[in-house]
Amino acid sequence: MNNKVEIDMNGSVLVLRGVSKSYPGVVALDRVDLDVKPSEILGLVGENGAGKSTLMKILVGLDQPDAGQMLLRGQRISPRNPADAIRHGIGMVFQEGSLVPNLSVKDNLFLCHEDGFRKFGLLSSRSMVQTARKVLEEVKVDIDVDTPMFETTPATRQMIEIARLLWLSRLYAQQNPILILDEPTTVLTDGERETLFLILKEIKKSASVILISHRLQEIVEESDRIAILKDGRNVTDMAAADAEISEIERLMVGHVFSSDRYREDEQAEPQDEVVLKVDKLSKEGFFEPLSFEVRRGEIVSIVGLVGSGKEKVCEVLNGLERPDGGAIYLDAQRLPMGAPSYTVKAGIGHIPIDRRSEGLALGMSVAENINLLVLKNLRSGGVLSSRMERKNAARWIEECRVKTPSMNTMVSNLSGGNQQKVVISKWLSSRVRFLVLDHPTRGVDVGAKDEIYKLIRKLASDGIGMVIMCDTLEEDIGLSNRMLIMKDGRLVREVDCSATRKPTPADLIDFIV
Amino acid sequence: MIESERPGNVAEPQEVSASAKRRVRVPTIVYTLALLFVVGFLFALGNRNFLSLYNLNTILSFGAILLMVGLGQMSAILIGGIDLSVGGLMSFISVIFTILVHPLGYLVYPICVVVGILFGYLNGLLVTRVKIPSFIATLGTGGILTSLALFVSARPVNVPSSTYGILDLVNASFLGINNILYFGFVVFMIYNIILRRTAIGRNVFYVGSNIRMSWMSGINIVSTRNFAFMLSGAGAAIAGILISAVRYGGDPSVGGVYVLSSIASVVVGGTALTGGTGGPVNTLFGVLLLSVLDNGMNVVGIDPYFQQSILGLMIIISVVLTFDRTKTPIIK
Repeated sequence: MNNKVEIDMNGSVLVLRGVSKSYPGVVALDRVDLDVKPSEILGLVGENGAGKSTLMKILVGLDQPDAGQMLLRGQRISPRNPADAIRHGIGMVFQEGSLVPNLSVKDNLFLCHEDGFRKFGLLSSRSMVQTARKVLEEVKVDIDVDTPMFETTPATRQMIEIARLLWLSRLYAQQNPILILDEPTTVLTDGERETLFLILKEIKKSASVILISHRLQEIVEESDRIAILKDGRNVTDMAAADAEISEIERLMVGHVFSSDRYREDEQAEPQDEVVLKVDKLSKEGFFEPLSFEVRRGEIVSIVGLVGSGKEKVCEVLNGLERPDGGAIYLDAQRLPMGAPSYTVKAGIGHIPIDRRSEGLALGMSVAENINLLVLKNLRSGGVLSSRMERKNAARWIEECRVKTPSMNTMVSNLSGGNQQKVVISKWLSSRVRFLVLDHPTRGVDVGAKDEIYKLIRKLASDGIGMVIMCDTLEEDIGLSNRMLIMKDGRLVREVDCSATRKPTPADLIDFIV
Repeated sequence: MIESERPGNVAEPQEVSASAKRRVRVPTIVYTLALLFVVGFLFALGNRNFLSLYNLNTILSFGAILLMVGLGQMSAILIGGIDLSVGGLMSFISVIFTILVHPLGYLVYPICVVVGILFGYLNGLLVTRVKIPSFIATLGTGGILTSLALFVSARPVNVPSSTYGILDLVNASFLGINNILYFGFVVFMIYNIILRRTAIGRNVFYVGSNIRMSWMSGINIVSTRNFAFMLSGAGAAIAGILISAVRYGGDPSVGGVYVLSSIASVVVGGTALTGGTGGPVNTLFGVLLLSVLDNGMNVVGIDPYFQQSILGLMIIISVVLTFDRTKTPIIK
């Protein structure tokens, strides 16, 4: 490079200056600066589309910047691909994971970098096993290194990826490697999440970690410094010690959230009529007989730890699992159970936790996704009427404020929040009487969350009864009229959550754990 | 993937992700059409007779047969499966059609179609009830059907000349156009209406696109998949009828080549092997392209030894142009 590097590293290992990247029609990054100090956890936050993913892709060489400089310990670098990046000591643990499922743990650890284990031209299994054990010990994973990858849990896989990156950066003699973790906690249970952060604290002694997360709570608690991106630009960075979540949110979104962030002021008293009655429902090994009722327009949240059985209860409500005993009544009619077709027909809808694999036909259009449940009503003369299809789709796009260039756009091209609105539209148009919402705001950014809360309130005012499971206890408290707390497969307590009498998380935590 | 959304400010103009903008692209069908014209133009340059009415009629008549198998194959592919038994079924139908045309008269047409649908249903049951992947299930039934055809008649048989009148339903012409083309058009329209404009047809797309979501949304995934394989059986049976009528005889090995060429016509038309995208119009143009190529290479006198490699090359080129590879992150 002809223009000599004159950037003050200022104690940072990695410095990005003026990094820009445009895709056709979108400026993803606009002169972004980023500093990564040695031995720190840097929390990187921003809404979807703020440019976090693009920035990280550039760091690991999955994408090349249009302009700007990247300096690693004063040396200018421009990684061409992830393999090149790791030679510089920069590695990323991907959201989807980048391991080969049918290879063993040890094969995955050393994949493509096995040269060191060569003995007479063949790979020495013994020394691989030894090294693998040692490497895994660092991340506190105790597992047979010959286990095929697909038999391991998501948490273990993540640890193995981290171990692999650490080993690789050591292999290429990089001091203080930089690990990028993209939404590492979405796939983890609470216990696993704690373990992850314990290990990250350990790793931090000789490495830097860039942590991307939608969960601002953990960003504030676990990182040393926080960098905020908005609309592809830097907003600020700050020390995590004196950061406040509300302040971060304000910077991310660009406006202040009111204190009633779950739209509690729109919370209405439910109607008197019971829409769903669960009577001594049970499933062996998951939950003991339990009974509860949900009234029209009532939002009932089920809370409990992993293993409390709340997920199974919802699966039974949706017909995904057959119960061992008990009955469900919808509008006093006993519901046939054990297949989603029965429950859907009866008028029970389901917003699944994983909307990409369970909620949407990704390769099909917005209109086709919205109309899925009501095709029978969109016929004229025995065949589907394009006019009626367009009308129905347009109506729900409008009503649920789905932001899409057209109703014929493929759903996979929409953002997470808008995809979720398509799933909700689909159920609304079929006039459901009862909805199970399984983590409705999972993977949705702060601004879009608010729109989903608004939709949920509207559903309630339309008289739809709901059972909801949320990402955070605060969300459960804020959204629901009533809370059912489950523990070890039993319904242990019912808590009133009407708008004027919201409990605090601290009030509840004792019942939950 | 670059996510993009500016929530919290609804008044702002609509945002699309960057990848979406890149994907605002010419519909795949346009590429197929363009390729069709280019190839047709080249052949016409090579031999003026290529565009003669007689030759166009020939192309389309043979195309009609491939279109029938292709539409059936496409139904199986749309659901996310594949039907390797179309060849065996075609051969079997070809033989029994020829033998039954004398005793049954005109009834032979619907009966053969029903037989095809039943075998399609059998394939469906193997996939949905016995839970065998369609690739294996139809490989098996295809083998059984091939030997059934040979069992019924090991050698090609001819239709007795007394019944040629019954075959006129296919072989006569009306307004200067061969009846087989009307046949092809009507069947094409039926597939198009079923798949595009009926609920069960739409369900084929939903199930092909995301079977778990379809199940969770209450779609009957068993009957939808059975239905797709029945459509496939019907297509192969109609093709078997047409080819025997055109040749005035049945042949227990006539279907073999149609297994791969039906898959090729579907894929060349732009229907993804992963299921859920594509459709009858795509397959129509895929069939046209393959038929034009097949005929044109003979008309301009390309060495037969060389034809297969040109055909192979064209399939690759057209898939490169038409198949929306952005939709499938991993190409296996």
